[in-house]
Amino acid sequence: MQLLLLCRQGKKEKMERKAFLQMCNLPIKVVCRANAEYMSPSGKVPFIHVGNQVVSELGPIVQFVKAKGHSLSDGLDEVQKAEMKAYMELVNNMLLTAELYLQWCDEATVGEITHARYGSPYPWPLNHILAYQKQWEVKRKMKAIGWGNKTLDQVLEDVDQCCQALSQRLGTQPYFFNKQPTELDALVFGHLYTILTTQLTNDELSEKVKNYSNLLAFCRRIEQHYFEDRGKGSSSIKSS
Amino acid sequence: MRLGGPPRGPCSGPSPAGPGRSPGRVQGCEKPQSRPGRTRPASPGPAAPSGVRGSPQPGRPASARRARPRTLPPFGTRLWSRRRPPSPEALGSAPRRPAPPRSSLRPPPPAARGAGRVEGAARGRAEARGEVLPGQRAGKMAAPMELFCWSGGWGLPSVDLDSLAVLTYARFTGAPLKVHKITNPWQSPSGTLPALRTSHGEVISVPHKIITHLRKEKYNADYDLSARQGADTLAFMSLLEEKLLPVLIHTFWVDTKNYVEVTRKWYAEAMPFPLNFFLPGRMQRQFMERLQLLGGKHRPENEEELEKELYQEARECLTLLSQRLGSQKFFFGDAPASLDAFVFSYLALLLQAKLPSGKLQAHLRGLQNLCAYCTHILSLYFPWDGAEVPPPHQTPVGPETEEEPYRRRNQILSVLAGLAAMAGYALLSGIVSIQRATPARAPGARSLSMAEEDEEE
Repeated sequence: MQLLLLCRQGKKEKMERKAFLQMCNLPIKVVCRANAEYMSPSGKVPFIHVGNQVVSELGPIVQFVKAKGHSLSDGLDEVQKAEMKAYMELVNNMLLTAELYLQWCDEATVGEITHARYGSPYPWPLNHILAYQKQWEVKRKMKAIGWGNKTLDQVLEDVDQCCQALSQRLGTQPYFFNKQPTELDALVFGHLYTILTTQLTNDELSEKVKNYSNLLAFCRRIEQHYFEDRGKGSSSIKSS
Repeated sequence: MRLGGPPRGPCSGPSPAGPGRSPGRVQGCEKPQSRPGRTRPASPGPAAPSGVRGSPQPGRPASARRARPRTLPPFGTRLWSRRRPPSPEALGSAPRRPAPPRSSLRPPPPAARGAGRVEGAARGRAEARGEVLPGQRAGKMAAPMELFCWSGGWGLPSVDLDSLAVLTYARFTGAPLKVHKITNPWQSPSGTLPALRTSHGEVISVPHKIITHLRKEKYNADYDLSARQGADTLAFMSLLEEKLLPVLIHTFWVDTKNYVEVTRKWYAEAMPFPLNFFLPGRMQRQFMERLQLLGGKHRPENEEELEKELYQEARECLTLLSQRLGSQKFFFGDAPASLDAFVFSYLALLLQAKLPSGKLQAHLRGLQNLCAYCTHILSLYFPWDGAEVPPPHQTPVGPETEEEPYRRRNQILSVLAGLAAMAGYALLSGIVSIQRATPARAPGARSLSMAEEDEEE
C-alpha cells in the first residue's frame, strides 16, 4: 500500500512518524500541504492517508499499522510493554511540551521564527491573527498543566532530566529494547532529531541533548540505517 | 547525646496539646536515634511512654531509605529490606501506642502523645534513617516544616490527590512535618492545598516541588534507586499524569452522579461557612477547565466518545501498572520510593471512595495486586486512617474524634447563642416578662405568659 504522509508546509516534519513507518518497511510518500492541519481528523499534523483512510497521531498510526499486520513491539513481554508505554508518555510529556514551550512561549523564538513560519502560507493579516491565536492557545495549555510559570531555564532543566532518563534507559544498547527498534525508538528519534536539526535563536536545547553521547549515537544510527540507506536525502544531523 | 536532648522536648511537650493541633503531626524527635540507635530505642524511654519504645524496632523496617544511610556503611540499605518482613505486625502495634488525641481507648501515656500516633511510626522510621548530622532537623534549627493539606475522608488520610501524594511521601521518608489537615484552602499560606512552609518560611505549593524540597532536605525515598530505576520513575509518573489524571478528575469532578453524591458532599460538609457554598463549584470549574485543556490533544468528539476513550486509556494504564508491579511489594523492590507515593495516591482515591458510578473502580478491583498494594501501604503507613486496621474500632473514631470536640463545641455554642438571642429579644421587646412572684413557678409563669401573649397577638 502506498502511504501518503501529509505535513504542513513550512513546519518541520514530524520525524517520528516517518521513522516509525520506515522502520516497519512501509513505503511512504511525503506531501506538503498548507491546509494539512484542516485535513487531519484531529487537527494535528502530520497524518497519513492510505487508500480512503486518514489516520493522525502516532498512537493511532501505530495501531492502524498493527491492524494491517506490521508491528514492532510484538517481541516484548508485558513488563517491557508497560515500560515502553511509560517512556513514550515521558517523551510526550516532557519533550513535546518543552518544544511547544520553546516555540510559543519564549519571546525571542516566537518573534523571530515561529510567527513567521506559522503564518507563512497565509496572506496578511491572516498570518498574524492565526499566529497569535495559536500562541494564545498554547499559553493557555501551558498554564493548565503547570508550565505557565516556568522560566526557560527550568524548562531546559526538565529537558535535561528527560534526556538523562532516556540516556540511562538506553545505556549501551543499540535500541531501547533488545536489538530491534520499537515505537519508542521512533518517537525518541523523531523528537531528538527535530531538536538537533532545527535552528532556533538559542542552541541550548540542542546542547542539552548533545551532552548525552549515547543519544546522539542512537540518532545517527537510526538516521543512517533507515533514512540514508534508502536513498532518501533528508537533512542529516550536523556533526556536533 | 540527643537522647536526652531537646528533640524529646517537642515530642512530649506540645504534642498532647491537641486541640489546635492537627493529628498528623510528625515529630522528628527520634531522628537522632538511628541505626546505631538500635540500642537506643530505650533512650527515648524517659520521656516517652513505654509503649513507644516498641516503635523504633517495627518502625524501622517500614521506613524508606534516606540519604543518611550512606554514611553508615555497616548498616547498608539492604538491612532495612531485611528487616522489613516484621514490619506489618510490628507496625501493626504502632497504632496502639500513640492514640488519637481524644480517644479514650489508649492508656494515658500514649494519649499524651496525642498527635504522636504519627510520631510513633515516624519516630521509628526516623531511627532507621541513620545518624543525624548536627545541624539537622532534630535540633529544630529553624521552625519545622509545615504541611497544609486537605483533611481525610473516605478512609484516607486526605481526599485530595496531591495532598495524599505528598503526605505519603512524607510518611515514607519520615520527614518531620507538622501536618495541618485543614478544610479551608484560604487558611493555607499559599491559598491552595497542599502547601509546604519550609523551615525558612518560604511557601511551596506545587506537589513536585514540595517533594523536591523534601529531597533537598535529605528526605529522599529514591536514594537507593539505580539510574535506570530513576528513569523509570520519571517515565511512569508521566504515564500517570497523562492517562490516569484526566480520568481521576473526570470521575470525581465531572461525572455528575459522583460529583453530587460524593465529592461535592464531602467538600461542602467539610468546608466552613460560607465557603461551602461557592468553593466546591469553583473547584469543579477549575478542574473541568484543566481537563479540557489536558485532553486537548484528543479528538474533539462528543462527550461520550471522549469519555469512553479516556476510560479506555485509563484501564490500559492500570493494567500496565499492574504488570509492572507484578508481585513485588513496591515498584522498586522492598522499599517505597516516590513513584509509590504517587501511584498509591491515585489508586487509593479510586479504590476507597464510594463512588456511585465507578467504572474504573470495577476494573481496578479486578487487578488484585494493585488492590493488595494499596491496602498494604495504607495499613503500614496510615494505620489509623486506613480501611484495614488491627484495632478496628480505631478507624472510624480516628479522624472524626479530632474534629468532634470542636464541632460539638461549636454546635453547642451556636445553639446557646441562638437561644440567648431569642430570649433576650423576647425579654427586651416585652413579649415575655418574668414575674418574680413565685421563684419555683417563674419558668412556668414565663411560659404561660408567653403563650398568653402569643394568643393575644
